[in-house]
Amino acid sequence: MTAPFPISDSLNLGLALLLGIFFGLSLERSGLGDPHRLTGVFYFRDFTVPKVMFTAIVVASTGVYLLADLGLLDLARVWIIPTFFWPQLAGGLLFGIGYVISGYCPGTAVAGLATGRLDALVVMAGVSAGSLLFAVLYPMVETFYLSSDKGAVTIPGLLGVSHWIVIIGLIAGAGGMFAIMERHEQRQNRRS
Amino acid sequence: MKKDRYWSPYITGTILGLTLLASFYVAGRGLGASGAFSLAAGLGLNAVAPGYAGGLTYFSRYLDHPQPLLDRGFFLLVGVFLGALTGALGSRSFKFMLDKGASMTVRTRLFTGFFGGMLIGFAARLARGCTSGVALTGGAQLALAGWVFVIAMFASGFLFAALFRRYWS
Repeated sequence: MTAPFPISDSLNLGLALLLGIFFGLSLERSGLGDPHRLTGVFYFRDFTVPKVMFTAIVVASTGVYLLADLGLLDLARVWIIPTFFWPQLAGGLLFGIGYVISGYCPGTAVAGLATGRLDALVVMAGVSAGSLLFAVLYPMVETFYLSSDKGAVTIPGLLGVSHWIVIIGLIAGAGGMFAIMERHEQRQNRRS
Repeated sequence: MKKDRYWSPYITGTILGLTLLASFYVAGRGLGASGAFSLAAGLGLNAVAPGYAGGLTYFSRYLDHPQPLLDRGFFLLVGVFLGALTGALGSRSFKFMLDKGASMTVRTRLFTGFFGGMLIGFAARLARGCTSGVALTGGAQLALAGWVFVIAMFASGFLFAALFRRYWS
């Protein structure tokens, strides 16, 4: 039998709650409920965000493609994030600005609130208001929103190479980046 | 020692990666956070102005559902809150506060929080997800979408941080 297995709606929601608990626990235990830490990377002061993020990406991508190659996970039934190039590029650019200004992103704002930070609640209200604004302006942005539709394209698919080439490159890139960050933090600690 | 209060980012990153992997395995989808905010905005608007909300094309995805709160993204986010609360209480680091940059006034903080949040909310809808749904999930799938978003987000973050230096440094 190949995953993902068909499950009932209520089991799906129960599992979502459980997955969310581990998600929230790993964010909080990384210190990612703290906006100083969340924005630290942009000031070359604290590299927790890229360390957690790229460790998670390396672990999950290795796991996903390993399970797929072993025939335990059917990637054709996993919902791959579709690419809409320009709106996602513009969305990423705007998102980065909002992240630096507010000090959080949506998931970490919830983690921040759970540590008692009331400013995170203000950010959460803002995120809802921004979503509302998008829905109100949708008729005006719809053409752009639906433009440059590339479908569920992946980087190995685009390059026409094995996914393991990309994953090995990813591991090497992340490892090199972590080494530079550790060295930079050690130097900073010695100075202070 | 403040620094020792948290776990190693490589340990927590591994837990997060395994959680994401489990999500692909059991649900056939990754994680997400911003969708629940959009759902909340749609339901909130529908509660105060049902006629207007019902006329918005983008919100029909939530409002056409007979039980819109039985939503995977909403349950994930409730879990995030409970998991983070467990971590904060378990490490005795829970504390009510209004966190802000050293030189920010409370009024500035309320403004930057709300306005920055609005930008995030709008941007996440445009990109079809946020740091969780596009960057983390798409990144792990090696999806082009994830890497376009990650690179754009860090690029503009670094550029803008130079301008907003005094806020968080």
